[in-house]
Amino acid sequence: MPLQINFGLKTVSCKIVYYGPGLSGKTTNIQMIHDQMPGDRRGELTSIKTKGDRTLFFDFMAFDLGKVAGMDTRFQIYTVPGQVFYNATRKLVLQGADGIVFVADSAPDRLQANVDSWRNLQENLAERHLSLHDLPVVIQWNKRDLPDAVPTDELHHSINVNGAPTFEAVAFRGEGVLNTLKGICTLVCKSIDVSRHKSGVPLRGETEAAGAVPALVASQPVAAREMRFVSRRMSAFGAASVPQAPVMAVDEARTDAVEVRQLSPVSPGIGDVPTPPRTARRVDTFVGTAPRKHRRSVRRKVVVAAAAIAAAAGAALLLHALGIL
Amino acid sequence: MSSDADLKKVRMVYYAEDTEALEQVLDRLLDLSRAKRALLIDVEGHMVCSRGGGLDDLDIESVSALVAGTFAATKETARLLGQEEFSVLFHQGEKDSIQLTLMDDRLLLGIIFDDSTTIGMVRLYAKETARKVQEVLSRPHQETAGESDALGEGFGESVEQSLDNLFSE
Repeated sequence: MPLQINFGLKTVSCKIVYYGPGLSGKTTNIQMIHDQMPGDRRGELTSIKTKGDRTLFFDFMAFDLGKVAGMDTRFQIYTVPGQVFYNATRKLVLQGADGIVFVADSAPDRLQANVDSWRNLQENLAERHLSLHDLPVVIQWNKRDLPDAVPTDELHHSINVNGAPTFEAVAFRGEGVLNTLKGICTLVCKSIDVSRHKSGVPLRGETEAAGAVPALVASQPVAAREMRFVSRRMSAFGAASVPQAPVMAVDEARTDAVEVRQLSPVSPGIGDVPTPPRTARRVDTFVGTAPRKHRRSVRRKVVVAAAAIAAAAGAALLLHALGIL
Repeated sequence: MSSDADLKKVRMVYYAEDTEALEQVLDRLLDLSRAKRALLIDVEGHMVCSRGGGLDDLDIESVSALVAGTFAATKETARLLGQEEFSVLFHQGEKDSIQLTLMDDRLLLGIIFDDSTTIGMVRLYAKETARKVQEVLSRPHQETAGESDALGEGFGESVEQSLDNLFSE
């Protein structure tokens, strides 16, 4: 996980991404978190959205948990645009996520949208050589107040094949929002401990026990099974754009850093999208019925336009945040 | 098993000695270029360090996220247009401007300046700063006796407790 640990500034910084189909309540969640969080612990809520109030690029807010184990612990919360059209920008926001909250819509006519979005999440992770086994994930069943809300058993069956922890919510009333957030933040930070135990790196005050890998017991409300967060970040970065560094003398004796270890990949579960080999290139799902070459050309222009618009909107908001504009 | 050098290479961890050295590099940049503020931000939107002043109510977290998001979007735009990347972005405001420079593939340097300097000066020293930052971060970490650069045991449990306290306020 690409969280940042800065021993100079004594900070730990994690990125949580809220994912899900359009209008499922992702933005409502972050708005409610912003409203319910004490003002001195959170920053402003930044939204890059369309005139119709649909998320265009992302919503963002950060909050500070205060000092934990001597480190200022901060969480950055992002939401992605849920509309199918914005997959390119969804992928950008998903980069570097340390934990994911999947916000599912309990309306019966949105069941398929939930499934499609869940699959889309897996595909976008797979492009970065990650799977749902590699990241802490929780699922929020939102809109539980609907009179015809789909029973949670059915929702479980439709997408929660990995047995992720779940939370019921009525986000527009603020119900279940903070529980969901607490669940994912706890999982993310516990997975730091997990990674370090798995790698055999001794913690402060410990002596290294040869071959000792403690069994993982997830805390409530996680399902009662062993959860392993296999960190494949190093392999993901190896396949991404990190340049090859020159050979250098390295002090290998240092062991009390947080360390991420590449373990054997977990076999895909039922419903999982298999992780493609590194040389494979994902083909976007097409929209429309035009000839394939024309569809690709149109799609490319649309994606370029969407990325450019998002960049321009982000730049405008950045300048506003800096007080320049 | 990932080595400490690998972790530093991908910039997950910044040790105290790194941060101090980076702050000195940024201070030098501000002295030479006469810019107002310099920010080092990783591509995922986490602020690494920030020097300078003049923008007291700056929401650093939001700025870091927006900078990273803006760069990610323009990088994707560049790729789709057949370019490797756009490594420099410049936004000109009425009073203040900001230049964003991509350094390797992990870090962004943001320099905020006004009309007491010029874009040419900023660009000149930004290049030199990028080189010095690379030098700092490619140095292997030197272990010193009794150093405190480590996370305590049970960090996750402590976070859970703190979250309980925060949400019960």
